[in-house]
Amino acid sequence: MATLTEKKTCSERMENFRLFVWNPETKQFMGRTFINWVWISLYYVAFYVVMTGLFSLSLYSLMRTLNPYEPDYQDQLKSPGVTLRPDVYGERGLQIYYNMSDNKTWHGFVTTLHTFLSEYTPAAQHHNINCTRDEYFIQDTFNGPNKTKLSCKFTSDMLHNCSGLTDPTFGFPEGKPCLILKMNRIIKFYPGNGTAPKVDCTYVGDDSRPLDVDYYPRNGTFNLHYFPYYGIKAQPTYTNPLVAVKLLNITRNEEFKILCRVIGTGIISDNIHDPYEGKVEFKLKIDD
Amino acid sequence: GPNELRPPRGTPECLKFARQLAGGLQCLMWVAAAICLIAFGIQSGQGDLTSADDLYLAIALIAVVVVTGCFGYYQEFKSTNIIASFKNLQATVIREGHKEQIDADRIVVGDVVEIKGGDRVPADIRILSAQGCKVDNSSLTGESEPQSRSPECTHESPLESRNVAFFSTMCLEGTATGLVINTGDRTIIGRIASLASGVGNEKTPIAVEIEHFVDIIAGLALLFGGTFFTVAMLIGYPFLRAMVFFMAIVVAYVPEGLLATVTVCLSLTAKRLASKNCVVKNLEAVETLGSTSTICSDKTGTLTQNRMTVAHLWFDNQIHAADTTEDQSGQSFDQSSETWRALSRIITLCNRAVFKPGQENVPVAKRDVIGDASETALLKFAEVTVGNVAERRSGCPKLCEVPFTSANKFQVSVHAAGERLLLVLKGAPERVLERCRSVLLKGQELPLDQQWREAFEGAYAELGGRGERVLGERGVLWVQRIPEQLPGDGLCFVGLVSMIDPPRASVPAAVRKCRTAGIRVIMVTGDHPITAKAIAASVGIISEGSETPEDIAARLRLPLEQVDPRQARARVLTGAQLQDMEATALVGALRSHPEIVFARTSPQQKLLIVESCQRLGAIVAVTGDGVNDSPALKKADIGVAMGIAGSDVSKQAADMILLDDNFASIVTGVEQGRLIFDNLKKSIAYTLTKNIPELTPYLVYITASVPLPLGCITILFIELCTDIFPSVSLAYERAESDIMHLKPRNPRRDRLVNEPLAAYSYFQIGAIQSFAGFVDYFVALAQEGWWPPLVLGLRPRWEDIHEQELQDSYGQQWTFAQRLRQQYTCYTVFFISIEMCQIADVLIRKTRRLSLLQQGLLRNHILVIAIVFQVSIGCFLCYCPGMPYIFNFMPIRFQWWLVPMPFGLLILFYDEVRKLGVRRHPGSWWDRELYY
Repeated sequence: MATLTEKKTCSERMENFRLFVWNPETKQFMGRTFINWVWISLYYVAFYVVMTGLFSLSLYSLMRTLNPYEPDYQDQLKSPGVTLRPDVYGERGLQIYYNMSDNKTWHGFVTTLHTFLSEYTPAAQHHNINCTRDEYFIQDTFNGPNKTKLSCKFTSDMLHNCSGLTDPTFGFPEGKPCLILKMNRIIKFYPGNGTAPKVDCTYVGDDSRPLDVDYYPRNGTFNLHYFPYYGIKAQPTYTNPLVAVKLLNITRNEEFKILCRVIGTGIISDNIHDPYEGKVEFKLKIDD
Repeated sequence: GPNELRPPRGTPECLKFARQLAGGLQCLMWVAAAICLIAFGIQSGQGDLTSADDLYLAIALIAVVVVTGCFGYYQEFKSTNIIASFKNLQATVIREGHKEQIDADRIVVGDVVEIKGGDRVPADIRILSAQGCKVDNSSLTGESEPQSRSPECTHESPLESRNVAFFSTMCLEGTATGLVINTGDRTIIGRIASLASGVGNEKTPIAVEIEHFVDIIAGLALLFGGTFFTVAMLIGYPFLRAMVFFMAIVVAYVPEGLLATVTVCLSLTAKRLASKNCVVKNLEAVETLGSTSTICSDKTGTLTQNRMTVAHLWFDNQIHAADTTEDQSGQSFDQSSETWRALSRIITLCNRAVFKPGQENVPVAKRDVIGDASETALLKFAEVTVGNVAERRSGCPKLCEVPFTSANKFQVSVHAAGERLLLVLKGAPERVLERCRSVLLKGQELPLDQQWREAFEGAYAELGGRGERVLGERGVLWVQRIPEQLPGDGLCFVGLVSMIDPPRASVPAAVRKCRTAGIRVIMVTGDHPITAKAIAASVGIISEGSETPEDIAARLRLPLEQVDPRQARARVLTGAQLQDMEATALVGALRSHPEIVFARTSPQQKLLIVESCQRLGAIVAVTGDGVNDSPALKKADIGVAMGIAGSDVSKQAADMILLDDNFASIVTGVEQGRLIFDNLKKSIAYTLTKNIPELTPYLVYITASVPLPLGCITILFIELCTDIFPSVSLAYERAESDIMHLKPRNPRRDRLVNEPLAAYSYFQIGAIQSFAGFVDYFVALAQEGWWPPLVLGLRPRWEDIHEQELQDSYGQQWTFAQRLRQQYTCYTVFFISIEMCQIADVLIRKTRRLSLLQQGLLRNHILVIAIVFQVSIGCFLCYCPGMPYIFNFMPIRFQWWLVPMPFGLLILFYDEVRKLGVRRHPGSWWDRELYY
């Protein structure tokens, strides 16, 4: 291999490189003549035009086959996630730490709740209808305007003491804060199998003592008439029902872990891989 | 030091192992692993313990490097330990007047040693006294005849002188005492061995190719990674994130499985070769043989059978050819003449050689004989042609004899034949003739006149000119009594017998095959030029009609000096001529004479010849068996040693060992080597293709901010699990055309990985695969609720682990874990797309030029099994429970397997079009750009 491994000097390498970039003898630029470059570029342009065309065609036909109202599959959405307001994340998940006497520490929470509830004012809900029956609101036809389906009203006053109307501070200064729970929307999901799912909050860990809370609406249930959800196209004005939790008797200056689960048939809350499926856990510490 | 050859100092084992871990690609992987670890460290330092993916990835990468390193190390380790070490020798020394048996390694300079037939010479010794001592120097000089040893100094050079016997040569017969003059590494053989170890190991062509291409890959990976690192930084990603992108791109772009594939392909071929009697010590040598353009072959034992055999007989004023084939399958001569009967009697009787007992069932040619080479040849010849020698000898008991000595150069014996006595004599022709007064012609004694003498001279010259040793010719005399002075004269001349070490039967065909394969065969031997030329002519190294300068001079009746050697096609150069030549003149001679034979060469000259061939740009294979060949074996691009006759030193120096010592096996090796080069090309093309569909997800991920379509762990699964077997199965692909009719590849032009191969794999097939992957990706997302327009730019929110209510195109809300499962589904879907397209890819790679239908779609069973295996692994990864949280594979819906299939068909169709163009328009633009 003497010929292949011959050591080349730097100038020889540069010369070789220069010849590669432009070889005046063969009129080759980077190993190809100009016309050859044109041909090969045209070839690749044509190739990619065709491929992009095929790609676009594939996506176009994909879009044509999709149902605009509901997805073909809901493989990952077996059970809804549950979220909490106010949602402030610390290093390990949700944290609600504040000092009762220092309104700066809880002012943010209150603002969050007010903003969140602004979608639930009677004005924001005026497109929706009043529902009274405690059963699934099944709509096989498009009864709403513009080929939509109807949605039930959920107004913040249904949260009574936690509506922010009677107590704009949501009980934070008193050490009895209101937290609002919401269940994620899943199309055609029927929670509870005929009985309304309800929220249940407990201490986590060795504490077997009951957590003293008030739930709004009464019993902490999500009324069945908010289900099923028919998708954003069919129910553009749909709003998720809420449950407010008012923590009544929290020991001060101590950190607690609290778990709120939504109980109901078909709602999974024991998936170790998803901490927000059917439940929400948060840490609470109220200083005075 | 002790009297032994010091083994060449090897590299320490740990260094060898470290070298396996520090190749170009390996370094890149180390860097990638380091980045993973840093990223993991920083993340966990920030308290984010949610994702240990980076840690897993780092471990996986390190495992890949270490495992492939161990694999390579094991291969190397196995190959260096093939050779068994020297056995311990015993030697008889005379110290202080007493004979002692000691281990040969305790001999010192000045000892007097005794050797006898069958011993190995324990050191370089000067002979003090000898009785009929003969040594076999063939491993040292290449002479196949035994050399007699006597106390007289006959030549200045110790190698030529009669009074020196060399370490490790074999004493065949007789006894001698000698003074030890050199021991251990200072012996002639030790010096040659150290000359061999002084020759550095040359890189094999395939190693050069792979290095060349690994450099390019590593460079491109760094370039890609660097570019996107910069892009990511400019777009505004944090530094750590950009580093992780860099790492991911490196992982995606580096073909992790490639080195393993190449090693496995080579070892498969090595295994196949081993079943055909070629043992490969150094894996890469498999391919080197395929690119060989010059073979420098030793004569003795490789081209010839390494046994003297009766070749011709001259009696009744005619030359008769004897059967010299190895298995006695050739034609025999007319045996009806009366003279032949007399000659056969002489051959039988005037012969001291006997068969060793207990070999009645062994074919004659393979029986062991006690006696020197020419007598053995005669004995076997007699046994084959006239039958039971022992019986005939006992019919004519030997009464007395005069043995052959170098002084009288003949041998006489007197036998009782009924009432009369029979005196038979054989010896050097001229010595015999001068004792003859008559000659036998068809059973009648005629006076030996001038005409007869001329006929004799003519036959003698002709046989001698064929490189044959004209030993036997026999006088025969019926006498009444034993003459007082043997042999007397007035004998009757019967005939001449000539002997040669005949070429192996398979060699001429093998040389012809080499010719058609564009390989030049050069003979390099330590033997006499005349013998060398004769053998070269008979095996076709000097083809019929080619003339040497000497032949031209003889034809034109010119003095040799007036002939321009360049006119001659063939040439025989001796070591003495080489010594007077400049190095450039040797290169010139190699260039101007296509057929060339080197005779009487020394080890250094062999080395020089190999170097000169290499300077001409040739890839040189050297075959040899002797110690004298070992430097050249080492210097050669591929050294081929002989398994049976080869000395240990030569086996040590060689890259490959022919177990049957047969030159024809080399041709098989060449064929396999060429096949594996072609097939490696296919394997590499297959392996490289999928790097693009592995890389594009990251590029799109960074630039279009979509959820990650393909994870690093998934990439490693493609590289190291599913796609290894199919790429290896391409090594079983049969040749597309008769590769033995092509010229050897030009190592500077015909690269393993050339531009069309890379461009076609990367930018065409790889691009189609990427499109297939993305279509499937978007299908899987859209059918689960994420439409393409929404997905673009979604990445920051999609990957926000605090976002538990991300809304899809239908208004549904997803937690992070749900999105992650969707992302794993995307990985799996993309993975399946690549797999589906790779099935099409492995099918198109079966051929580079022929249509798939011409090659046979399912002809390669291993490949079919590999595809089945690949699909099964894919199914296992997808549907085995627990996979989502271990390796991020999700059970995907069946129809997502079908989405990429049209793209697979497109690949098949497109490549058939390409091949059609290449076949129809050779040399065209299409051929140049798209044929790899």
